[in-house]
Amino acid sequence: MKVLKMLIPLTIEGLKITLGVFILTLAVSLPLSILVALMRRSKNKFLSKFIGIYIYIMRGTPLLLQLMFIYFGYHYIPHIGYALGRYQAIFIAFILNYTAYFAEIFRGGIGSIDIGQYEASKVLGISRSYTFSKIILPQVIKNVLPSIGNEVITLVKDTSLVYILGVSDILKAARAASNTYSTFTPFVFIGFVYLIIIAILTKLLDKIELKFNYYR
Amino acid sequence: MKIKRYTMFLILLVLITNLLVGCGDKSANADIQAKKIIMGLDDTFAPMGFRDESGELVGFDIELAKEVAKKLDVEIEFQPIDWSMKETELNTGNIDLIWNGYSITEERKEKVAFSTPYLANSQIVVTLADSSIVKLADLEGLAVAVQAESSAVDAAYSKEGFVESLKDGKMIEFSTNNEAFNDLEAGRSDAIVVDEVLARYYMKQNGEEKYKVLEENLGDEEFGIGLRKEDTQLLEDINKALDELMKDGTYDEIYNKWFSDN
Repeated sequence: MKVLKMLIPLTIEGLKITLGVFILTLAVSLPLSILVALMRRSKNKFLSKFIGIYIYIMRGTPLLLQLMFIYFGYHYIPHIGYALGRYQAIFIAFILNYTAYFAEIFRGGIGSIDIGQYEASKVLGISRSYTFSKIILPQVIKNVLPSIGNEVITLVKDTSLVYILGVSDILKAARAASNTYSTFTPFVFIGFVYLIIIAILTKLLDKIELKFNYYR
Repeated sequence: MKIKRYTMFLILLVLITNLLVGCGDKSANADIQAKKIIMGLDDTFAPMGFRDESGELVGFDIELAKEVAKKLDVEIEFQPIDWSMKETELNTGNIDLIWNGYSITEERKEKVAFSTPYLANSQIVVTLADSSIVKLADLEGLAVAVQAESSAVDAAYSKEGFVESLKDGKMIEFSTNNEAFNDLEAGRSDAIVVDEVLARYYMKQNGEEKYKVLEENLGDEEFGIGLRKEDTQLLEDINKALDELMKDGTYDEIYNKWFSDN
């Protein structure tokens, strides 16, 4: 029908944004969060506290608000000559926000590793960085994968928040079609699009979990 | 130490993606007065500015804006924004005009400068065709839906005691007029307050016989173009262009194309 004829091209355009934000955010915030988690656990009280405050602010305010502050806020801070573009603001906001969440998950995961692992490594003369990257981290990943998976799925849906900066994702595509044809159907269609994306994602995450299941 | 290398890798990663992302971005610092103006609109507001079946931006405001840009010999760019952020987008320089069925109200005049009015509109009350509601007073104790942040809300509140007399003493606010209409059709709202221009478009799409428009309305208003207060030269130019378009018949041409059925 006419509605789909309008909706489908708009959805494809919107998918570029939805998936783009999703992939870019994951690509940067996942590695970054491991570093942040380590900093949070650091013996350096100052560093630990500082990161703690960052995490608190990111988790303590809605992502929507963060998007607005980062994009519109620069204007109200004197002397900053550089204005952020819409996409840059989205990129920064999402990464800052999700890094905080992932960092907490990793922090918990790292903390749950038995101290015996560290002791055994020391006894075997393995260096600290090798211990962490080759012995501790794989175990951590295996443990936190379900929690990380949860946040990843939430991220797909959080991408719809870009509307506040006027950027068109798939949900906006539905809004546009819905407005032109004065009908609710586009939203049902987009609901299915989200479901399909999440289905693929879930399957992918299951596969990854299986790969890490090296005890069985 | 491994961590240092890792950190450097991360910094590189962030910088690269930032460049990637920044490339497609228009700098918000672009010189606005020189040859290009950016018009902000909610691209889901039919018939003033919305997308047609091929996803192209069309509408009364879009066409009028293109004509004004021609007269002023500037390039005009259409930037979709979120309607609730329109004044912020304007005042932070991300857009230069708010032009999207933007009703002139006293409160808004405090924050932006308005052009001369270019279209008359009113806030009408729509019910389902079989409704027993005939006058505004009949709405007492009933549910009324409306679009949030719209002048429909302001109009309703400016009528003494109206909103207080409704069910729960307030209106049901939705983010788009479509959703408000939806609520009406679902029977959850008994009436909606809405811009006449949008209502007529919507009703025409869905079958006018399904709805009824009350005789009394909640106020007449006019649409204007919103500019930053300091852009006085631009305001003058735009007003002059509008005036010329109204005199040479272009305005009427566009009007008849979009509103001929009224």
